[in-house]
Amino acid sequence: MIGDVVLQVVMATSGDEAPLWLLAAGPAGAVATYWALYRYYRNTDKSHAYERDTLISAQPVQGDREKLRHISRTRDSDIDGDNSDDHRVRVQRLR
Amino acid sequence: MTQDPTPPRDPRDPPFDGPPLSLEDELAAARAEPAPGPDIETVNESLADGLNRCPKCGSTDVRLRGSTEMLVCLFCRHQWQESRVEEEFGLGVGIDDLEGTVIAGGAEEISSDEDVITMTCSGCGADVVVDTAHAMNARCHWCRHTLNVNQRTPNGAVPDAVLPFRLTHEEAVEKIREFASSRRLFAHPRFKKEFVPENVLGVYLPYLVIDARAETAYVGEGEVQTRRWTEKQGDSSVTYYAADVYRVERSVGFTVDDLTIEGAADRASFGSDTTNNIVNTILPFDTKNAVKWNSSYLVGFTSEKRDLDVSDLEPVLEDQLLSIGRSQVHATLGEFDRGVRWEAEKVDVGGSRWVSMYLPVWLYSYYQENTRMLHYIAVNARTGETMGSIPVSQPRLIAAALTVGTVLEGIAGAILVATA
Repeated sequence: MIGDVVLQVVMATSGDEAPLWLLAAGPAGAVATYWALYRYYRNTDKSHAYERDTLISAQPVQGDREKLRHISRTRDSDIDGDNSDDHRVRVQRLR
Repeated sequence: MTQDPTPPRDPRDPPFDGPPLSLEDELAAARAEPAPGPDIETVNESLADGLNRCPKCGSTDVRLRGSTEMLVCLFCRHQWQESRVEEEFGLGVGIDDLEGTVIAGGAEEISSDEDVITMTCSGCGADVVVDTAHAMNARCHWCRHTLNVNQRTPNGAVPDAVLPFRLTHEEAVEKIREFASSRRLFAHPRFKKEFVPENVLGVYLPYLVIDARAETAYVGEGEVQTRRWTEKQGDSSVTYYAADVYRVERSVGFTVDDLTIEGAADRASFGSDTTNNIVNTILPFDTKNAVKWNSSYLVGFTSEKRDLDVSDLEPVLEDQLLSIGRSQVHATLGEFDRGVRWEAEKVDVGGSRWVSMYLPVWLYSYYQENTRMLHYIAVNARTGETMGSIPVSQPRLIAAALTVGTVLEGIAGAILVATA
């Protein structure tokens, strides 16, 4: 059943022959299973979400933007080193 | 080359204690004002070291009654409670006007590592020793009175406030059993064999609870997609993008109320060789309900003393404020659909107020010998939030991973064969 669905998706996206990268599904699935179970038992990724669970009273955000340059042709679908979601990863500290 | 031998010291001479002070220094010392007290004085004046007596009958057999969060006299059953520090010391107000670092009496610098104190029992006069690193009460071995450490100690063991246990031992055991039973299949066999949730311990852990006013600013680059197209290259097609690159600046001012940070060094490191993140995860507590210090709340529980000062934790506060600021500005970045890369950041802490508290945790610990790892299952004794680390059986985990991998590989192989 699942195999049929996967087959249809693969055929729809890659023409007549299934690509060889499908062979990576086994090792990738094994690693993903290991890490998912390990994290469920050990909870090594958990911590207090103080950004969300603290009483915070913020003033309106001030901001500015200035155009630096234009990228006319790139294969990257997003910016290099996007850290806008990684609130706890520190960058250069201005004093 | 010879040296003059040092003349023998006359034992009647006073010991040398440095050069004499100048006249100005001598006068300044003579005029010295008394040392300034703490910014917020939180000593419970109604208590003295020694005996905490029931206000009704005078008995010292007093302890916390978890179901009511009140102190109960075990002799006459009278119940009472200390007042909330939030109102008593004005901790809930004035965060917008905080200037500099305001430190409550119980969060002041630790000036001694002497944990053992000797108290004289005011019931019978006997000397009783209390190890304040782990307990703030002791039973007088002669007259059976309960002795309590109520006054400030220089070793950081007496906080400004205490948040009483709300969850009972039975409720904590149930929470821990429930947590572990949903993680049985891949648990280490020895852990399963030795799992006794009834051994959970009630511990008051030291925290610093901080109100702060801060301004944070961030600088980086953001990209906005202007065009997306596909080009045919041989048999396949490739997607290309065009984008405008902007310099992005954001700043936000905010106040935080009751940010809670670990006050013990053993609990404050979150490396992969510890499971301290487990205890961190059960935060937050309802710290607004913390009451004035009264060591009777600790009878029957253990405690861990604070060993980190405000100066040690200021970098941690700044780090957390920067993270909070980043999360606050995140919602304004929607226009940069290709993402934002922050490159520099700044925090200016306008004012902060530090209060030390004992917060209640039910802690089940298990030492895994082969990996030398101390695993915790911790229950927030106010909210019931439970988090834990269960030792895993690596052979079982690997077997499960290989099984899933083999099934997926079989499906992939079948697809390749079917389409060849």
